[in-house]
Amino acid sequence: MNLRKIVTIVEEQLTEGGREVAPVHRVAIVLAVIDNPWAGRGFVADLGPGIDEIAPQLGALLAPRCVAALGGPVEAYGKAGIVGLDGELEHASGLIHTLKFGNHFREAARATTLLPAVEKVAPAGASFDIPLKHVTDATIRSHHQTVTAYVPDAPRPGEIVIGLAAASRGRPQERLAPLATEQ
Amino acid sequence: MIRRVVTRLEEIRAEPGVGACPPVRRVAAAAVIQNPWAGRGRVDDLAAEVEAVAPGLAVALTDRVSAILGGAAAVEAFGKAAIVGTDGEIEHGAALIHTPWFGDIVRAAFGGTSIIVFADTRGPAGTPIVVPIWHTTAAATRSHYATVEIAIADAPRPDEIVVVCAAADGGRPLARIGDRTTDTATVRLEEHRP
Repeated sequence: MNLRKIVTIVEEQLTEGGREVAPVHRVAIVLAVIDNPWAGRGFVADLGPGIDEIAPQLGALLAPRCVAALGGPVEAYGKAGIVGLDGELEHASGLIHTLKFGNHFREAARATTLLPAVEKVAPAGASFDIPLKHVTDATIRSHHQTVTAYVPDAPRPGEIVIGLAAASRGRPQERLAPLATEQ
Repeated sequence: MIRRVVTRLEEIRAEPGVGACPPVRRVAAAAVIQNPWAGRGRVDDLAAEVEAVAPGLAVALTDRVSAILGGAAAVEAFGKAAIVGTDGEIEHGAALIHTPWFGDIVRAAFGGTSIIVFADTRGPAGTPIVVPIWHTTAAATRSHYATVEIAIADAPRPDEIVVVCAAADGGRPLARIGDRTTDTATVRLEEHRP
């Protein structure tokens, strides 16, 4: 895996709607900028070998960093894969939609649910919104949220940005009725 | 007072076309606050609010930068910036970053002696700012001229200001343009005019 850059973003929200957010809402995002392992090779039918090689390395790199950057228990999480313009959407999907990637985060976050994801093909500097859901029950409405990220110089056409995001709690002033009240 | 704090750490490991390079870390820490002069028309004396607000911002931001880089001693370059929301004056951002109530605290936090390089702008929420940084004790050190970019999707609102402190633990990863002491060319402008 050729790694060019790691970006770690931490957001702390102290007020929302003019009121204090207690406890403070924290989000951590960690992004790795890597060479697209399939760049310049035309249409590669079998992505398996590349996935097997790189997805576990990304999971092992990003998961502990994301949990450490959050600095506390992970209540909601999500992931991202942004492919540079010379690549296929499938290249990002391949690297993030595998247990070889996601289980690193699931174990580090003590999570059990599917990781919601954003995937797109985009130029360097493109903004993307990472969806997050609760780590053990994806129906918990208070924890549905998104975080925005970008890297000014990535992904270059032959690169992929792979990311993980974690939140310390539900939305800053979450106060929606739970799903069960409508069923 | 502070609505949101966002920190961004970039760990650069390689340069395009070159491959692996000596690692360098750059950080920007940004605080979103209510513009203390919002909705008040022209306020001639900004001093009272500067004294009340700027030191707390400087401490909050430098503490985070130091924590991210593993201690203030790691900081070799620094910079600062303000993004004023669209209802404010650039002067409001300048007031918060260009007085000792902010700058001296940042300088002291990182053991610096240089003037702190800066950027300011005004714009809607999400406006990115490219924050210049240079050496904390020798501003003319060419290898340390660099920038860190940061943007916050929902800030500044029209009546808010984003204040940024930026730092790095080294210079550009492959700095090789020499310095004033190594410059041997005598540049004669007339020879370079078409």
